[in-house]
Order: sequence, then C-alpha cells, then structure tokens
Amino acid sequence: MKTISDLKIDEEAIVQKIMAKEPVKGRLLSMGIVKGAKVKVMAHTLARQTWDILSNNTKVALREEEAHSILVKGLHE
Amino acid sequence: MSSEIKVAIVGQPNVGKSSIINALSNAKLHVGNFSGVTVEKKEIYLKRDDYDIRMTDLPGIYALNAYTPEEQVAKDFLVDEDYDVMVNVVDANTLSRNLIFTMQLLDMHRKTVLVINMVDEIEKKGGTLDEKSIEKLLGIPVVLTSAKENRGVEEIITQIIKLHNSVLSKNKIYYNEKVEQRIEELAKILRKSPHFKSEDYSRFLAIRLIDRDENIYKMIHDLPIFIEAHNALEKMYKDLESEFDEESTTDILANERAAISYNLQMETLDIKEENESLSEKIDNFLIHPIFGLPIFLFFMWALFQLTFVLGNYPMNLIDSIFIETSSFLADFLPKGIFNSVLTEGVLPAVGAIVMFLPNILVLFLGLNLLEQTGYMSRAAYLMDGFLKKFGLQGKAFVPLVSGFGCTVPAYMAARTLKNPKDRIITMLVLGFMSCGARLPIYVLLVSAFFANQNPGNMLFYIYIGGAFLGLIVAKILRTVLFKGEPEPFVMEMPPYRFPSFKALGMDLWIKTRMFLKKAGTFIAIAAMVIWFLSSYPVNNTLVQNYNAKIEQTVDINKKMNLKNELNAKLLENSYLGDFGKFIQPVFAPLGFDWRLSVAVVAGLSAKEVVVSTLGTLYAMSGATETSKGLVAKMRQNVDFKAAIALIIIIMIYSPCLAAMGTFYTEVPQWAWRIFYTIYPNVVAWLLAYGVYKTLALMGY
Ligand SMILES: Nc1nc2c(ncn2[C@@H]2O[C@H](COP(=O)(O)OP(=O)(O)OP(=O)(O)O)[C@@H](O)[C@H]2O)c(=O)[nH]1
Ligand SMILES: [Mg+2]
Repeated sequence: MKTISDLKIDEEAIVQKIMAKEPVKGRLLSMGIVKGAKVKVMAHTLARQTWDILSNNTKVALREEEAHSILVKGLHE
Repeated sequence: MSSEIKVAIVGQPNVGKSSIINALSNAKLHVGNFSGVTVEKKEIYLKRDDYDIRMTDLPGIYALNAYTPEEQVAKDFLVDEDYDVMVNVVDANTLSRNLIFTMQLLDMHRKTVLVINMVDEIEKKGGTLDEKSIEKLLGIPVVLTSAKENRGVEEIITQIIKLHNSVLSKNKIYYNEKVEQRIEELAKILRKSPHFKSEDYSRFLAIRLIDRDENIYKMIHDLPIFIEAHNALEKMYKDLESEFDEESTTDILANERAAISYNLQMETLDIKEENESLSEKIDNFLIHPIFGLPIFLFFMWALFQLTFVLGNYPMNLIDSIFIETSSFLADFLPKGIFNSVLTEGVLPAVGAIVMFLPNILVLFLGLNLLEQTGYMSRAAYLMDGFLKKFGLQGKAFVPLVSGFGCTVPAYMAARTLKNPKDRIITMLVLGFMSCGARLPIYVLLVSAFFANQNPGNMLFYIYIGGAFLGLIVAKILRTVLFKGEPEPFVMEMPPYRFPSFKALGMDLWIKTRMFLKKAGTFIAIAAMVIWFLSSYPVNNTLVQNYNAKIEQTVDINKKMNLKNELNAKLLENSYLGDFGKFIQPVFAPLGFDWRLSVAVVAGLSAKEVVVSTLGTLYAMSGATETSKGLVAKMRQNVDFKAAIALIIIIMIYSPCLAAMGTFYTEVPQWAWRIFYTIYPNVVAWLLAYGVYKTLALMGY
C-alpha cells in the first residue's frame, strides 16, 4: 500500500490508516489527518527528509518517518 | 456587590486566544503566528458592569490527550481547577479540525462559549459562516470574532455573563450507540465511588477512560472501585475494537468526533476552495528545496548587517550626549562624592549601555518579524533535516532562535518539546545562542577591533558561530549522555499573516521601556557599587606624595601624566582592584587585565553589566580624557588577542542570573543544574585559551 512518502509534490490522496504509534498518532489525528481526510503533498526538502502536507486546510510539517506511517490511496481508486 | 466569574480560555494553538484577551483588556500578552507562543497560564482581570472577570489564558492544546509539557499545563487546569465558564476559541479557517477538540471539551459538559475567531480571513475569501446553525447543533452559544479587527469580542463577555447566570443546558454530544452503551456502563461503576457522584463528571471520566487517557487512569488507580472499573474497561477495549475493526478505542472516538466535526463544517461554512493561496505562492520561494535554506541564511545575515549599520547612526549621538552631560554636571555640581558617583560611576556606565539600544531594537524587530509573519515554522521545517544531524529536531529551532533575543523566554519555549531528553539538551545548549544583551559587548569589541572589515559580517559570524558551537555540543551530549532518537517532528505551519505595525511598534516600545528601566535601576545600582568598590579605600600617603610631585612640576604634560599615574595606582589599590587582582590569575592566560576580569565576572549578574563596568573602570583610570568614547579606550587598553578571547568567553560562559534562575525552575534535577552551572564556563575558558594561544603563534 502507498504511503504519503510515496506521493509526488502536488499529488492528492485519501488517508486510509495511520500506522504511527501513540502519541504521534493522536497528534496527527488532532491536526485533522484522520481516516478519510484528503491530503496533498505541498513540498518536501531536497533530501526528502521533511515533508509539508496540506489536509483540512491545515499545513503540517512532518518527518519522513511520520509521512511513511500514513497509508493512503489515490483519489479515484 | 460585584461577583466574580472565573473563565478559562482554551483552544488549539495559534487560534488567537491571547489576541482576544488583548483585544478585551489592556493586557499585552505575547502573540505570534506559530503554535506554542503561550507556554504558561496567565491571569487577566476585567471589569464589566458588576462583574469581576478573571480570565486565564492557557497554552494552546491540540487534544485532551496532552502531548507536550505546556499542553499538560492547559489540561491540568481544565480538569483540576475550578472555573465557572469555559471559552473555547477556534480558528474559522480550520473549523472542522478545531471542532474535533471542541467535542472533547464538550464531553466535560460545562458552561461553554464557542468563539469562532479569524472571521475576517473567511470573509476575505468570500466565505460565510452560519453561526446560528452551529449554536443549534452543538447547543452552546457561538460568537464570531476577529481579534485583529477588534470585532465581536465584547459579545464574548455578554455571553459569559449570560451563561454564568443561567443553569447548565442539557445538551450533550452523543456518540455511536455502541459507544454510548459502554460510557453509561462505566460511568455507573465510577459513580459507586463517592468522588464521582456527579452524573456529568462520571460520564466525562468514562469517556476519557475509553479514550485511553493515562492521567485519568492514574486518577482512579488507587480507588476501591479500580479493579471493577479496570476489568470492565479491558473488556470494553476488546469488544469495541473488534466491533469497529479498529486498533484502539482512541481511534474509534477520534473517527466519531472527526465525522461529526466534518459534517458540522459542511453544514455551516460556505466557502470555495482556493486554487493557490498567497501563502502557497510565497512558500514556493521561501521553502524551495534548493533555495529555501540559502534564503533563510541570507535573512539572518541581512538582519545582523542592519543591526550594525542602522544601530550605528544614533550610537555616536547617544554616546556623546552622555559624555557631554557628565562633563557638564561634573563642573556644574559641587565637587564631592555625589558628583563623582554620578559623573564617574553611574553616567558613564548607563551611557555605555544605553548607546546600544538602537542595535538591540533592530535585532528584536527582526526576531519579532520572524514570529509574527509565520516564517518561524517554515524556518523550523527547513532546519529540521540539519538539526537532526545534531540530534535535535525542527521544533527546537523555535527556542533556539528565541535565544538570540533573550535566554529566559527561550528556556520557557523549550516546553514545547515533548521528549524530556530533547528538552534538556536544547536547554543545555541554549546559552550558546547569544542573547540581545550580549550584543553591546560584541558591537563594542567589533567596532574597536574590526572597524576596517565589515563589522556586520563579524556580528553574523559571532552569532552563527555560537549557534554552530551549540549544535556541536548538542551532538556530543546526545551521543554521550542521551542515547536514542530525537522525538518525531510534527508541526503545524500557519498561513503567512501580515504583521500589524501597531503590534510591532508596541512590542519595540515594551522592549525599550524594559531596557531603559533596567539601565536606570539595575545597571545604575551595579555601577554605583562598582564605583564605590573602585574608589575606596583612598591611600592618603600616595595622594600626598603625588600631589607634592605634581606641584613641583611645571610641564603641563608631565603634570597630566602624573595625575593619570595617581588615578591608576589608586584604582589598583581599591577594593575592586584587590578583587580584580585576586581573580586575575584565572584570566591572565587569556591576556585579560584585572579590569576585563572584573567585567567578565560582573557579567554573570547580567550581560549589560560587562559594558557598563568597562565604562566605569576605563572612565576612572583616565579621568583626563573623558572626552574619548569607550570604543577608543578599549582599543588603547586591550590587545587584539585578548579581545578575541573575550568575545569567545562572552559567547559561551554562563548566561545571566535571571536565565540561570529560569533554568533551575524548569529543570528540577540537581545533577543537571550543577552540570549546567559549571560546564559552559569550563568550555568557554578552554576555547578562549586555545584561540588566544593560536593567535599568539600566528604572530598577532
Ligand atoms: N487575521 C486574523 N489574525 C488573527 C486574529 N486573531 C489572531 N490573529 C493572529 O493569529 C496569530 C495567533 O495569535 P495568538 O493570539 O498568539 O494565538 P494563541 O491562540 O494565543 O496561540 P498559542 O499561544 O500559541 O496557543 C497571530 O499572528 C495573530 O496576529 C484574527 O481575528 N484575524
Ligand atoms: Mg497565546
């Protein structure tokens, strides 16, 4: 299954499941990154270490590890 | 008779809680466009009609499952403290995600006002909000506000008073049938305990327990009902998780709340999705994968150039005003102790520090822009990968860069770091971030010794060099003392916001006032102490001997030299001279004379005192050349190698007493306190010595 870290810049997807452990998971949930939410990759750094994600009108910066823990599916899958 | 209403202001970070309180009162709470500006609770009093309203501004908190220490402050307050009305502030731009937290708060079933702030931004995007439907759907009063435009805020007070005088409405958030069943079951068990008789409270605790809230779990741990509640809970976890096919009951509740919130937003907020907002256009440049970091470094460099260049214009003026005033007063006032204390002790000291006010203000303006515009979180995003190499994470950028302003709030800002190891490492290296109060020393030394090079560049190197050194130390600490990965990095990046000139001006004015107050009180008193210690005891035989010699001499120049010699000898034999010579052996390897040594030690009280002490000591040792500024005197009396060693000492050694006190309150472990008190001074001395020797070998 795809994760956010597989997406390209400007690509959109729907969140399927958050694999991160608590308390990071709770933090992501409370920032609006919940199951069914639409996310869009806005940017990532050159080394793809830090990611900038838009979801529910909120921009969130995450590390690759966290981006990798969010399972997504394409908009039309 | 007036009655008191206690109000808790609560909401997710950066929604404008502090701004609203500022708009309602004459409070000047710190406001900034990033999460985690407020890190401790603050009480503000308001008076309206017959009511004394006591508002508590709480740190922003994302969810009741508290995450960071400053969020814990807010949670503890909400659960444990006594208050009459809760004001939940949400950001209209991110309504549905904010409402997820609102659901958790509504579980408490207390008198609550929902404040939807930043409506100005929604309106600008052509959106409308139907607050009446939200009111109906949630069953609580809703107020639309714009703290920025001072709109709607008084209505909050009206609603608070109204709620205070009415009975609590019956409305509740209802979850899925299967969940509700469990809540009721668990609440019934809890109510067996005399602590939880209230229907609402037991329901709230039951929901929190099903939400796997560890604080609440600990709370019931020692009660007689614990075993029963625990067994029931374990079964509920298992059953619910299999019924909903989720990993954890926390997820079930989160999904429920998210669904309700999303529907609420869909029904009440009418807004078009934007194509590309201004923020995104700006971000295309500022967080560009290749140019992002260079642009950030350029901003920092430009800031230090401006700090030096802009600050330098008024500097000479302020300097000469103080010099003229004190030489005028020296002639005008009757001769005597008062005259000397004022014109040789206090005025040169206060003048020496006040002349750097413009530099400091430019630096603070730059840091303020970083806070207000929203660039702060972008810089943290850009720096995250780099900081990771040193065992820190992007969020640590906020306290680190605040350290360029003042170390005290920077220690407080470290509360936003969740992991205690990350936090202690960040706090241990925060002193390496040179604070604004050290700026005068650098400007003084750079002006004296690097006037030919670009002084702004030198400032930039000093500040960046200090930061870099701090990161290296962080890496060492991480490797030696705290093994393990740094905490994960998840940080919100708010939209860019144009800072209001009024807010910027106000902030600079507050800084100016604080600075002048400190110069007029603390620094002035320190200067008096330094003056007395350096003027007594007077060795009368010495004075008589010299006076006799001076009388016999005809040549004006020789007379002058003798006078200077006398002054220098008197100073050397004073209490301060004795003290200076006592500690000088420590600093002698760095090429410091006793005056520099005294100034460095005095700087432990506050960094401004370094320059003010130098001001006094050099003014006294050459009474006949008061017309010359401190810069020139430094150049005359201090050699280049020692000046560099001094810069290094100042960069690294312990920060001021106020900062040390803050560290002590924030870090309870004695081992860390002792380590923190000693190691920077050792590192500072060793490094300064190394550089001094190297320069000597290079023939300086
Ligand atoms: N456009 C607009 N901006 C606002 C409004 N209210 C606050 N802001 C801005 O939003 C940002 C956050 O404001 P704060 O008052 O610091 O928010 P807070 O909720 O106290 O934040 P924390 O203390 O971090 O939890 C600042 O940049 C404010 O200038 C508003 O009504 N409209
Ligand atoms: Mg605040």
